[in-house]
Amino acid sequence: MIEAFEGHETFFITYDSARTRGLERKYLLRNIGTNPLVMAQAFLAMLRILLREKPKLIVSTGAEIAIPAFYLARILRIKTIFIESWTRVDRPTGTGKIVYPVSDVFLVQWERLLSKYGKKAKYEGAIL
Amino acid sequence: MIFVTVGMHTKGFDRLLRKMDEIASTLGEEVVMQIGHTDFRPQNAKWFDFTTEAGIKGWCKKARVVVTQPAMSILDAQEQETPVIVVPRLKRYDEVINDHQIDFARELEKQGKVIAVYDVDKLDEVLQKPDLKPQKLAKDRRLVKALQRYVAQYNNSQR
Repeated sequence: MIEAFEGHETFFITYDSARTRGLERKYLLRNIGTNPLVMAQAFLAMLRILLREKPKLIVSTGAEIAIPAFYLARILRIKTIFIESWTRVDRPTGTGKIVYPVSDVFLVQWERLLSKYGKKAKYEGAIL
Repeated sequence: MIFVTVGMHTKGFDRLLRKMDEIASTLGEEVVMQIGHTDFRPQNAKWFDFTTEAGIKGWCKKARVVVTQPAMSILDAQEQETPVIVVPRLKRYDEVINDHQIDFARELEKQGKVIAVYDVDKLDEVLQKPDLKPQKLAKDRRLVKALQRYVAQYNNSQR
């Protein structure tokens, strides 16, 4: 999907792993999962990153890391695009449901999933 | 060589790795496993827990077939045009939070993108089929195009 952003300055905010350590410009956070304390820490870390980087747009495919990003983006007036997981054919993700109200653009990757979200949700194809 | 990969998932996939390890000695073909957060340690297969993106893609390229869960690992295998067998993680074994991977596997199977195996006892038989063909990497351009449109729109707009 990265080719959609060619010609624009981009950076990643993601979870720390063997795979993400190889990314070029990145901020690596601890996996949040369902831990409320780690979620609170992620809100603080995210706020610092967004104030420093001042992005125009945030694009996310989840997971929970999208929650602090999208709610803070709303306050900081940064545009957001959420892309629901390709693996979800007819069941929304918990993250998708939580960020739906604050997303500027909300995309699903299966047409069937549209019925589980409101009018804002759109289907514009999938990753493969 | 058969490459088994369970990705970055925070839960293990014991059931798949145990079965693959069990049949590894009789398949007559090398088995390499990326085990992620699984506690089980394979005896008959070469294994490691995690590696880099280039590492995973390298194994996918070398493999005759990739065995994985129906999730994002599929993309790594298909990019290398290696056939993919998917085995859904199940809630009942605490391998995932719900059974969405079954629905996803069924849809991908219908589209001819993967071979889906719902019962690990069938893996042996499926892996011995000589006619596993690489699925066509039909990249859906619509999503990239839609994103380019949104990026252009927001890039031109004032805060």
